[in-house]
Amino acid sequence: MKEGESYQDFLKGMFDVGQLFDKPEPLKGIRILEVCYVVLGPAACDYLAEFGAEVIKFEGQRGDQMRFVTPYAFFWKNMSPGLEIENHNKYWVGMHMGNPKANEIFLDLVKKSDVVIDNLTPGRMAEWGISYQDLKRINPRIIQLHVSGYGSWGPWTGRASYDAVAQSMGALSPITGYEERGPIKSGVWIADWITGLMCAIAIMSALHHREKTGEGQFIDYLQVENVIRWLDWTWLFTSMEEENRKRAGNRDLAICPSDLFDCSDGWIALAAFSAEEFRGLCEAMEDMELFEKYEDPTSRLEDETAREILKKIGEWTKTKTMGEVEELGSKMGFAATRVLTAEDVYHGEHFRERGTVQTFHDPLYGEMVEEAYPPRLSETPSRIKWSSRPLGFDNEYVFTKLLGMSGEKVKNLQEEGVIFKWNPKIPSHCPPKDWDGKKGMKLG
Amino acid sequence: MDDEKIIGHAANEEYAKWAHRETNPDNIFQKPEALDDIMVLDASHGSFAGLFASSILSEMGAEVIRVEPPGGDLARKMSPYGMMIKDTGLGYMVEGRNKYHVTMDLTKEEGRTLFKRLAQKADVVIETFKPGYMDSLGIGYRQLREINPGLLYCPIHCFGQFGTDARKNANQPDYDITNQARGVIMSITGEPDLDPRVPGEFKRPLKQGNWMGWYTGGGWAAFGILLALFHRRKRGMGQLIDCSPPEGLFSMANYAMMYYHMARKQMPRAGNYDYAVFPYTYVECKDGYTFISGFTDPNWTALCEILERPDLKEMFPTIRERLTPENQPRIQHEIEKFTKQYTTDEVVRIVTAYMNKPDRKGTVATGRMELPAEVLEREHWQARKTFIKVNDPYYGSVLIQNSSFKGMSKTPGRVKWVCRPVGADNEFIYQKFLGVGGPQLEGLQTRGAI
Repeated sequence: MKEGESYQDFLKGMFDVGQLFDKPEPLKGIRILEVCYVVLGPAACDYLAEFGAEVIKFEGQRGDQMRFVTPYAFFWKNMSPGLEIENHNKYWVGMHMGNPKANEIFLDLVKKSDVVIDNLTPGRMAEWGISYQDLKRINPRIIQLHVSGYGSWGPWTGRASYDAVAQSMGALSPITGYEERGPIKSGVWIADWITGLMCAIAIMSALHHREKTGEGQFIDYLQVENVIRWLDWTWLFTSMEEENRKRAGNRDLAICPSDLFDCSDGWIALAAFSAEEFRGLCEAMEDMELFEKYEDPTSRLEDETAREILKKIGEWTKTKTMGEVEELGSKMGFAATRVLTAEDVYHGEHFRERGTVQTFHDPLYGEMVEEAYPPRLSETPSRIKWSSRPLGFDNEYVFTKLLGMSGEKVKNLQEEGVIFKWNPKIPSHCPPKDWDGKKGMKLG
Repeated sequence: MDDEKIIGHAANEEYAKWAHRETNPDNIFQKPEALDDIMVLDASHGSFAGLFASSILSEMGAEVIRVEPPGGDLARKMSPYGMMIKDTGLGYMVEGRNKYHVTMDLTKEEGRTLFKRLAQKADVVIETFKPGYMDSLGIGYRQLREINPGLLYCPIHCFGQFGTDARKNANQPDYDITNQARGVIMSITGEPDLDPRVPGEFKRPLKQGNWMGWYTGGGWAAFGILLALFHRRKRGMGQLIDCSPPEGLFSMANYAMMYYHMARKQMPRAGNYDYAVFPYTYVECKDGYTFISGFTDPNWTALCEILERPDLKEMFPTIRERLTPENQPRIQHEIEKFTKQYTTDEVVRIVTAYMNKPDRKGTVATGRMELPAEVLEREHWQARKTFIKVNDPYYGSVLIQNSSFKGMSKTPGRVKWVCRPVGADNEFIYQKFLGVGGPQLEGLQTRGAI
């Protein structure tokens, strides 16, 4: 510990974003084969890729559906923003999975890989002859994770799931929304993203076990069950009270005060549960009577009382700006912040200093500004190297580097339709219009 | 379990049976644990982000010691309507799982000494205090790494440990609502801004109903810890894992930032609409809601056939027409004219019947919106042991969600016990790790250090 150095200065040095690429990657040497599409599976692989795993993504001839999912049918340099967000640092192969020759190639790659991830219909890989048992036979260290809505067995296995289905079947949507209004779906594909995160955690855990024992494993992960797992006290409450958890808007039924309030110029999220925090808030409100009456946090949770307290706070915040309440929060020790938008984060100095929002220059798409996955690790931080790619963009690189295939063999496989590249008639398969045929090609 | 239950709707029955054998939840306790060589000191306070992170690690076998102040963690009081089971609220009852519970007063020198001695032996420390608080007590990462260079230190806080906003707001506590507010997702979740039928007072940001800010923060923290542990196994180095839950949320905020980068525009709140894929929405039925989709041209054609509305297909022929904020309420309204005549089960049957037709034009998916009490009843979740009912000697009969890592064939996640009272494991843990027992332990107690 340096004498006299402040905590903030110490951290600034430890997390210097200028040194991002001079630090090691925790997953260096881990190779992942991604047989996934849409958001969930690709996101799980993306989390690992930004921490250094080498992810090889296999796409079918029509391309990942996210090549066609974009707000207002908007495309940018032929790229679909829906595809970009869960696909960084990956190697892109177009291959007809299930074709016998493709299987051969796939199994050759499995020999030198660590993890296989799929989010196909359960059992599809087995139908193709590349089940976990097949993989394990040639590489006992392989870890395979399969993720689907309801998993590989059980009364509902085989039922299709989408993010919005998982939100509703897992009961997240019915508890989201206002008391007097209907259920509300998340503004994002939250059940995909959070399930992807738990898949990445399961893989990390399996990698640990493998480090100790040399043994791989099969993992069956359930998207809807994951949503259920994340719903905190919902289940215990429902089982005790024999009634459903109610929607409560932005109010937290288990913490008071904790809500979103109106200010004169916008909204403020505010919380102050401990006696000390609540005292700070009441001092800011100049209402010590309120504090004396409800010093004990538990006493504020009774429904009527909670409504009374929240109403009082709302009346007070209306007379203040967001900035004033935020400042008071920081001064008096309660939590208060405005609602950040994408624009706020994009331009936020805080997030650039932390390396959370990173700028990089992609050979195909030019300057990109994106959020790199958290948390911030001082010695092995996440980093973005490149964007999503046109279909089959890295075929030659992967087949040459990993399998030593000659240019001719690659060409033959392409002619046989085993491997392929972007379809020039489908813009969101393709490189940008002004692409010179070379930029970004590895070994190109 | 009979085969029929195992196979369900499986396309490949042999696969389903094999998968069941590999991941049968009845065999969990006969299998090893992935993290049983890891010790975690969880000093989180008033934050379910820290608790969820240590729950994940504990389900994988880590030995997690919860450090609480003598009065107990504030999180124990966070409970709907103030409901308590003995000394503990419902939220904590769910995330107290598998953990040893000790008390120590970190504001006292003796308490800090105990913490330091335990941290010296720990692999991981988790805390959720205000940034710099532990450092100011002399037990932050700077000080602990000197006595334990391999330590992984994971503070979790809304603003993170450093950066402009962390400096400015270092005196704010960490809460779910503020995590959600800074996490961008809240800015684009809520009743649709551009739907004229929604009353103005509801056109404001909306949080996810659960503690999504905290759980997301905890999930990312656990991921970061596992990455750092993996690195440590190879390079022997400890590190600081700075987890800011809002960063976890906004890196999952779909294309919100990408769209801003590319078009310099922001997405509005879409409610149950989706301006990148539609129909992909919840619709009202006679007895509740159901999800329905039919986005791509073939799927939209199929949906219009189900609705018996060829006119809709002509009115909104391509995805361009189906993705505008003006048209989506109109399409929604037309679909609901149909679905409101049926119950959710009837809609599922109608769609399934269509999907079984050989001449179907595309895929339409549906899934009813389940209320919590219904979820608890479903055979599928019972078969998968998604919930467990524990008969705890102290807390009585308690139903909680099981580990979601049960499907790991070699090292399944598991729940061993639900929760422990405040300080219940003082004797065991202080004896085991520090050799403190008998009169020494009594002394600490008398002096209020534990």
